[in-house]
Amino acid sequence: MATPTDGQLPASFRDPSGFLFSRNGILYRQINRAYTEDYARLMDSGLYEKLVKAGLLIPHGETDQAPAESEAAFKVIQPERAPFISYPYEWSFSQLKDAALATLSIHKRALKLGMSLKDASAYNIQFVRGKATLIDTLSFEVYKKGEPWTAYKQFCQHFLAPLALMSYRDVRLSQLLRVYIDGVPLDLASELLPFKTKFNFGLLTHIHIHAGSQKRYADKTVGPRKGMMSQQAMIGLIESLESTIKKLTWTPAGTEWGAYYEATNYSDSAFEHKKQLVREWTAEKNPNLVWDLGGNTGVFSREAATSGAFTVSFDIDPAAVEQNYQVVKKNKEQNLLPLVLDLTNPSPSIGWDHAERDSFGQRGPADMALALAVIHHLAISNNVPLPQLAQFFAARAKWLVIEFVPKSDSQVKRLLSSRKDIFPTYTRDGFEAAFLQYFKIHKAEPVRDSERMLYLMETQ
Amino acid sequence: MHFSPLPYLDPGSGSLIIQIIIAVLLGLGVALRASWGKIKGLFGIKPKADDDDTDGDSN
Repeated sequence: MATPTDGQLPASFRDPSGFLFSRNGILYRQINRAYTEDYARLMDSGLYEKLVKAGLLIPHGETDQAPAESEAAFKVIQPERAPFISYPYEWSFSQLKDAALATLSIHKRALKLGMSLKDASAYNIQFVRGKATLIDTLSFEVYKKGEPWTAYKQFCQHFLAPLALMSYRDVRLSQLLRVYIDGVPLDLASELLPFKTKFNFGLLTHIHIHAGSQKRYADKTVGPRKGMMSQQAMIGLIESLESTIKKLTWTPAGTEWGAYYEATNYSDSAFEHKKQLVREWTAEKNPNLVWDLGGNTGVFSREAATSGAFTVSFDIDPAAVEQNYQVVKKNKEQNLLPLVLDLTNPSPSIGWDHAERDSFGQRGPADMALALAVIHHLAISNNVPLPQLAQFFAARAKWLVIEFVPKSDSQVKRLLSSRKDIFPTYTRDGFEAAFLQYFKIHKAEPVRDSERMLYLMETQ
Repeated sequence: MHFSPLPYLDPGSGSLIIQIIIAVLLGLGVALRASWGKIKGLFGIKPKADDDDTDGDSN
């Protein structure tokens, strides 16, 4: 993974409680004096220990490092680093749902120990050891009896609205999160959701009526009213959000679980041979971070992950990513992260000064990239010339395992059946010539029982 | 709305008002459930364990 340059991280500037900074490639979090009481309560109440044990909060250690800004500083901590930072617009339905439920569970547990979650940003959740985990240690505050949940609006925008839209309208609406960095505006969600959601008590209140109330009070300030919301009322609210989210489901239409690879054209022996080569080559090069680009349901990502590498399995199809995530959960896999990504239009950097959320490219390079059965989609369906493809992959990782699928292959024939063949250089020789500009080819193996070739290359 | 101290993110007037209304209603439900639990307790029926008290995984 890329080592950030020293200094304050651009994603961490809103909360006056502290901020993240990097020094000599190590990630630290400065805690400011304003947060002293809250931090002490987090650590002394047993909440920290309880949440870390449940895998809901990232562990950290206290260090003697000098703070980055000494004037406001109280302490410097070193949090465990998430192996790969991902964003909610890259998550499948169940990943976003689990992140939502983890957030509510953390808030509930905090309330029992006299604390409250002061923000509910989906960006504070990352997948660590296969589980949705809060990475912002400074998200807690001492709970004051009678006060409402300050993060309620944020929770509805970051989690409930996109989940409801994905469940009731279309799973691709998760992409609204890429446009609206602070979550889907509730009036927009209310407008886009089908009428029948008004008969769902949770969605009626937390989205439709909530949106109406926001509009009504848009330019009014609310006078001081202390002690309006009892702890019982707070628990009622959290449980209502919890049950509303638990009832939201999404089952991919037109896809059969487990039937993905049946639509392919290669034999069992070709499939097994490919798996074996991926397993052998990753074991040999022993990468720490592998990116499987076009990973589908993660069959080959899992072969790479057996080497111990943390493997991110990217695919454009939300149904494939959903299925992949279900397998991660079922098998409690700790070093595999499925994500939704369109390689032809990957996640951009977004937010303030284009720097709050990193682009796909900025989160690299990986040690090894896999590009299996993907080149024909990029070169033919998306018209990317081979030299540009080689350049793209060279920027992603030191090692590349790439499969060349020739024009004689039935999958490529299908892609060319309804269009003009404007790809005279799309041959094995043309492919190798283009990639040799950026790579050294270490291995080239014909995939058994197929016309395909598998290469192991190293960037020059 | 009075906060001590003020939150660093604006919770939104409309969001706060509706939150309190919804929560007060739902809170009544929680209270009723608690009393019902006590009544059942008198007859020796134990409440279900709260899954948040276990330290297992929640997702």
